[in-house]
Amino acid sequence: MGNGRILIVDDDPDFVAVMKVILEGDHYAVAAAPDKVEGMRRIQADRPDLIIMDVMMSTWSDGFEMSRELKKDPRYEDIPILMLTGVEERTGIGFKSTAGDPEWLPVNGFLDKPVEPQVLLDEVNRLLSQKA
Amino acid sequence: MKSTDSCLRKLEMEPVPENIRLLKGAYWLAKLRWIAIVYVIVGTYVTHEILCVGLNDAALYVIAGLLVVYNITVLVLLNRLMKADQQVPCRAINKLVSAYHVIVWVLLNRFTKIDPRVSCKAVSRIINLQICTDLLLLTVLLHFSGGIENPLVFYFIFHMIIASILLSMRESYLQATFAVCLFGLLVLLEYKQFIPHYCLTGFVPQCLGREKLYVLGTFFVFTTAVYLAVYMANYIAIRLKHTEYAYRQANIMLQEKDRVKDEYVLRVTHDIKGHLATIQACLAVVAGKLSGPLGAQEADLIRRAYARSVKLADFVRALLRLTRMRLSDKSEMDVFSLRDAIRSAVGAVEAKAQEKSITLDCAVESSVDDIFGDRFSIEEMITNLLLNAVKYTPEKGTIKMSASNEEDCVLLEIADTGIGIPEKELDKIFDEFYRATNAKEVERDGTGLGLSIVRLIVERHGGRIHVESKEGFGTRFTLELPKGQRS
Repeated sequence: MGNGRILIVDDDPDFVAVMKVILEGDHYAVAAAPDKVEGMRRIQADRPDLIIMDVMMSTWSDGFEMSRELKKDPRYEDIPILMLTGVEERTGIGFKSTAGDPEWLPVNGFLDKPVEPQVLLDEVNRLLSQKA
Repeated sequence: MKSTDSCLRKLEMEPVPENIRLLKGAYWLAKLRWIAIVYVIVGTYVTHEILCVGLNDAALYVIAGLLVVYNITVLVLLNRLMKADQQVPCRAINKLVSAYHVIVWVLLNRFTKIDPRVSCKAVSRIINLQICTDLLLLTVLLHFSGGIENPLVFYFIFHMIIASILLSMRESYLQATFAVCLFGLLVLLEYKQFIPHYCLTGFVPQCLGREKLYVLGTFFVFTTAVYLAVYMANYIAIRLKHTEYAYRQANIMLQEKDRVKDEYVLRVTHDIKGHLATIQACLAVVAGKLSGPLGAQEADLIRRAYARSVKLADFVRALLRLTRMRLSDKSEMDVFSLRDAIRSAVGAVEAKAQEKSITLDCAVESSVDDIFGDRFSIEEMITNLLLNAVKYTPEKGTIKMSASNEEDCVLLEIADTGIGIPEKELDKIFDEFYRATNAKEVERDGTGLGLSIVRLIVERHGGRIHVESKEGFGTRFTLELPKGQRS
């Protein structure tokens, strides 16, 4: 059961709608952005407690670049990032094993799409409790 | 138990490279020469000793001896060449050609090194030299065995056929001209008495070597027969080469079409998967009643829709994986612990086995550890086989997984007490989309791709997979996994 602000950065509005239902059902305040540029703007305007992001949005590596930029910025480096993506199956590359690497993929969690609601909530709760 | 081996069923579709074809031709020629040698020795003995035909047998035995030495040397050189490099190096053949000259002039000390590279031209050259030497020795043999009186003269035609099969049209006509020149020179020298004519007394009623009309007539027939043989053999050989070329092109075209199809499937399945992921997520929310309460009927329908979307997502995922593997030869190969991969795969299916009260035994020899390969794929392969075993083994059954160390490979065995595979279907279970009839009874909507992925992974690692099964009693998969290169 959470309370906190979560930003979803994903270009699939239907998927975002589902995520909102799941997260809002668990009492999180959810905002969304369709790409990296809008995502960064929202973070600057209203700093979230957790970011859930896809990888391939307006470019093939939006999510990778955004996670690296955030973790390099002292203002946002402590915001946990959960990567929720189908990039592994699209590219055939096992990114999961690299997740957490400070240079290549500085994210705090990595889940494959589609995700079971409870698995998502557990991961979100884990990341937020770690932060706390 | 009936069994089948997937790797033995691979079709040999790859065309034989031209240089390898020619080298095989060079071997073939050497084999034929053994027959000729036996023929010369036996023929000389029978003709001289039994039929009492006047032959210079000592000279013929010497020629046979020379042929033996010459053929052994050619074979030794060809064997050394093949061992030096499977690709059969070009410069090696050049060396061989020079070595061949050396044999002819008995200077064996020049060819000690073999260098790696080969070309069709170089192999053709060696075949040309072999045929020239054979023609020369045949002419000498003919000289000592009656010259124009000996019907052996038509054995020149065999060489013309061999030349037409192995060499180019131009080269085979040149060989024909060389044969005609050699024979013409022999006949002329004997006719003009520059060299002696050994009459085949007892075989022909009178000496024919100096009968002008007979000599001219035989020479004319010989010449036309040689050129006609080359013409006809070339005609057939060219037609065969054209057919082979057409098959080769068709094969290339089919491979290209297969690649295009795979890319198409990859694109389509990926697009389907993206939409499917969202559909599945939406249904999961509704089915989990996260969006609000549902009536019993709605809940049942949504649950069914969700279950089907999960099955469809599994199928699409497997199809994507298989297609991507077919399209790419590249794998992330490295040294990894097979023991850890097995542990991880067993861990992934343990819960499912427990749900059915299945006993899952895993015995890994203590010496089994690091191998070279793609850990992700190997783990996926073992998991697929274990999941299959769990799926098709009834409650309270047993699954035994073992890994043992062999000299160059690790032997993995996964045996279950499941429903087994019908004997007549064993050959097909690794085929894409194929599902055994009794498997469909257990689970209607499997993907039929799991074992195809397993086979592809095994092949990528240069291993072998073998399956034994008895319907109603169980199935055993045996995998030979090469340890590969160590870092």
